[in-house]
Amino acid sequence: MANTWGYGAMTNSMNDIQNSKAIIIFGANPAVNHPVGFQHLLKAKERNNAQLIVIDPRFTKTAAKADYYAQIRPGTDIPFMYGMLNIIFKNGWEDKEFIDARVYGMEDIRAEAAKWTPEVVADVTGVSVEKLIQITTVYAKNRPGTLIWAMGLTQHTIGTSNTRMAPILQLALGNMGKAGGGTNILRGHDNVQGATDMGCLSDSLPGYYGLAEGSWKYFAKSWGVDFEYLEKQFKDKSWMSKNGFTLARWWAGVEGVKNDEAIENAGTHLKALVVLGNGITSIAQQAKVKEALDHLDLIVLADPFVNEAAVLTDKKDNVFLLPAATQFETSGLVVATNRSAQWRYKVVEPLYESKPDQEIMFELAKRLGFYDLYVKGMMMEETKDGKLQMIPGKTTFIWPEDACNEIARIVKTIGLTGWTAERVKKHTDNWHMFDELTLEGTGPMKGEYYGLPWPCWTKTHSGSPNLYDTSKPVSMGGMGFRNNFGLEKDGVNLLAEKSVTVIGSKIQGGHAEITKDNIEKVLGITLSEEEKAMMGANWKVDNSNLIVQKCMEAGIAPYGNAKARAIVWNFPDKIPMHREPLHSPRPDLATKYPAYADKANHFRVMTKYISVQSAKDYSKEFPVNLVTGRLVNLNGAGVENRASKYLAALTPEMFISFNPDLGASLGVKDGDMVWVHSPEGTKIKVKAKYSHSVAPNMAFMPFHFAGHFQGEDRTANFPAGTKPFANGESANTVTNYGYDIITQIPETKGGLCRIEKA
Amino acid sequence: MENSTARALATTVGRRSFLKMAAVASVFGATSGFASGNVTRAATEEEVKNPFPGSKMVKTICTACSVGCGIIAEVHNGVWVRQEVAQDHPVSLGGHCCKGADMIDMVRSEVRLKYPMEKVNGQWKRISWDDALTKIATKLADLKKKDGADSVQFLGSAKIGNEQAYYFRKFAAFFGTNNTDHQARI
Repeated sequence: MANTWGYGAMTNSMNDIQNSKAIIIFGANPAVNHPVGFQHLLKAKERNNAQLIVIDPRFTKTAAKADYYAQIRPGTDIPFMYGMLNIIFKNGWEDKEFIDARVYGMEDIRAEAAKWTPEVVADVTGVSVEKLIQITTVYAKNRPGTLIWAMGLTQHTIGTSNTRMAPILQLALGNMGKAGGGTNILRGHDNVQGATDMGCLSDSLPGYYGLAEGSWKYFAKSWGVDFEYLEKQFKDKSWMSKNGFTLARWWAGVEGVKNDEAIENAGTHLKALVVLGNGITSIAQQAKVKEALDHLDLIVLADPFVNEAAVLTDKKDNVFLLPAATQFETSGLVVATNRSAQWRYKVVEPLYESKPDQEIMFELAKRLGFYDLYVKGMMMEETKDGKLQMIPGKTTFIWPEDACNEIARIVKTIGLTGWTAERVKKHTDNWHMFDELTLEGTGPMKGEYYGLPWPCWTKTHSGSPNLYDTSKPVSMGGMGFRNNFGLEKDGVNLLAEKSVTVIGSKIQGGHAEITKDNIEKVLGITLSEEEKAMMGANWKVDNSNLIVQKCMEAGIAPYGNAKARAIVWNFPDKIPMHREPLHSPRPDLATKYPAYADKANHFRVMTKYISVQSAKDYSKEFPVNLVTGRLVNLNGAGVENRASKYLAALTPEMFISFNPDLGASLGVKDGDMVWVHSPEGTKIKVKAKYSHSVAPNMAFMPFHFAGHFQGEDRTANFPAGTKPFANGESANTVTNYGYDIITQIPETKGGLCRIEKA
Repeated sequence: MENSTARALATTVGRRSFLKMAAVASVFGATSGFASGNVTRAATEEEVKNPFPGSKMVKTICTACSVGCGIIAEVHNGVWVRQEVAQDHPVSLGGHCCKGADMIDMVRSEVRLKYPMEKVNGQWKRISWDDALTKIATKLADLKKKDGADSVQFLGSAKIGNEQAYYFRKFAAFFGTNNTDHQARI
């Protein structure tokens, strides 16, 4: 998404969905996973008679509320969407004006879509010609329409292509940059958006600044340390700019794990693992995770509950469990799925001996000797002339307020300047003063949107409720698409056309992102010598924030006003292309739509694609298509909820659900125990649960359980008094190998398995 | 432990069932002398209206998913005693799912990890924070010296606040590795 139009985030909000006239959902199940947010979709049905369309391999509880439902084969969303575009272009239903003015490269999409006739799509996706035409017609005729997705779209080897395809469909229909439209990704955990913004990622510093030397220098300066100091901590400078291992594949870096995939990790294997708030029993390839844990020198697990990695491993020494406080025993800013900030106030002091996460990090930093430099940024400020200084008279910091303000001072790329602790608290304190439909404030909160959804450009900015909306002035959250990919490509203009002027903007049509070099020309202003002296090189690294201020005066977004791009020329597939899952139930289609070439050094480890896919026809031995997902009473790796008697009692056991027809052919009755086998040779023992929600050639498992491994009950490994009230096999012991070519997200939606009576 | 369980359960009695119980108690109190043995007695009107005198209401945010529902937590003498939906929250509008309604029980769960532990020769041993942190830091420093900072993998969280997530990334930067990641990857 970020590669299409600038930011990879939900563009509108749950509330704004009330403005939609059509809602199409790919691979998300908000009725179960975001139950309270789902009320806004139901209100859209009431208010606008919004047509709810659900595309999912499983007839979910969301599908039960839908007007139209298509049971799609996992991993074939791209053909489905090209099929929709085929019908849209054939009937001339595309928004030509929008495409001409705001989109680059739609012609290539049109050419690819022409190949995906409804008949071809039906063969690949399993959705009938009639249903595809019906759904496309309803979605195209009811605008604005919003497109919603979650992990069902992303957890594929082609996940990145999927998340580009959905925006392209929305661009073609002109559904972007308006209330009731947008691409509304539903985030999972409560602060996925925030933690991602903060750069808990192996390929970026906070704020998506990346890992280039210039970014490191900006952060070193902003943290008040010498760049050379940081450089010295790394093996050498080159390793500062290289992606690290990911959550999905770190296990491949551990010596002793049986694995033929070469790693490139600064000349060493991984020896220690430090986990803070991460249920790693919910990541794919649990057998490999276990092997890796067993071979580490040191494991540190900080969590309010026992991280079940401690139960999975047979490691006998140097495993540490640290009781972290829950999020109700500390305070701080949390970012909801729609980019909006709320202040999570502390309810009680940490129970037992638990400590808030920051104290654990601070105590380790003290013992590692970098504490003083580590926390220095909380005591710094920008001066009026664009310099940084220690705040006069400040010798200590207040957590988390000073950390919140440090982030606001530094992270400009996504416009966090306005997110001071004081402002965010004021919003939470006054949450009753915001309108349910528009999220606009009233009374003392007038002129601001609830939670100041980023970008929130300045300390007085309103926040931006719907991204890329040119019908609002920039001061009230308006903007075009971001200019992040140059001014032109092969002679074609990448800036928005003349007709795309943000309301109230001094500049007619598109313009470049603002730098010190172009600001005078683009804005038609003359800077004083003093202003030039204080200004940073561009809006992202400008400590004075003068560039942003000048942009606000001119009514423009500092990041430019450009076209969205349908072609991402720096990706392996320049436009989204269908590629079959590595373990496909249709080997004939795997030949026609093959996986990528294997990729060396993908986040430090060789990652296989075609060599796995072409190795054999897995579908003979493993005939059942497998998807995983959530249950309403559990979330993530599940320990938080399984530690509650009441929630655990709702689903006391791990299960696999499949169609009674499949059960009959396997000789398995509802309630029988079964073995589920994977192509990797792993297996789990779970209870069979009949369900008509899955097609006869498919099975569904929740991924929230842990404590059992390949038939073995390992819960005796819990320290006394810490065992959750429900335990079971992790579905991710048998989800198949496969990782996205760009992000390395695992392909857990749509692998293969074999079910046998136990 | 028995006592603390009983107390915890007593305080999770919801407002409606509390009212019902109070009503039943007052009927018995008036007609059968049920409460005369000094074991139970009818709740006074004031106790029914305000069972936790002096408690404070804290506005906070649910940790279950990314919708960001409002929670009203009632705290009495430092104990989270009751949880209420936020009727006036602009996104949740008084809604709670079963996970959200259970936040109070998650925090007060008996199976929480209560103190630092170390596995020694296959057995879990209770240790002090100071010992745990010193042992961990010593080992990390040794590894960094011997094998380089890239011998350590950090895994952070999408379930911690922004400031904590930022300081987690900053920690890896100061330690000297980009081997740091979190659940957004999955």
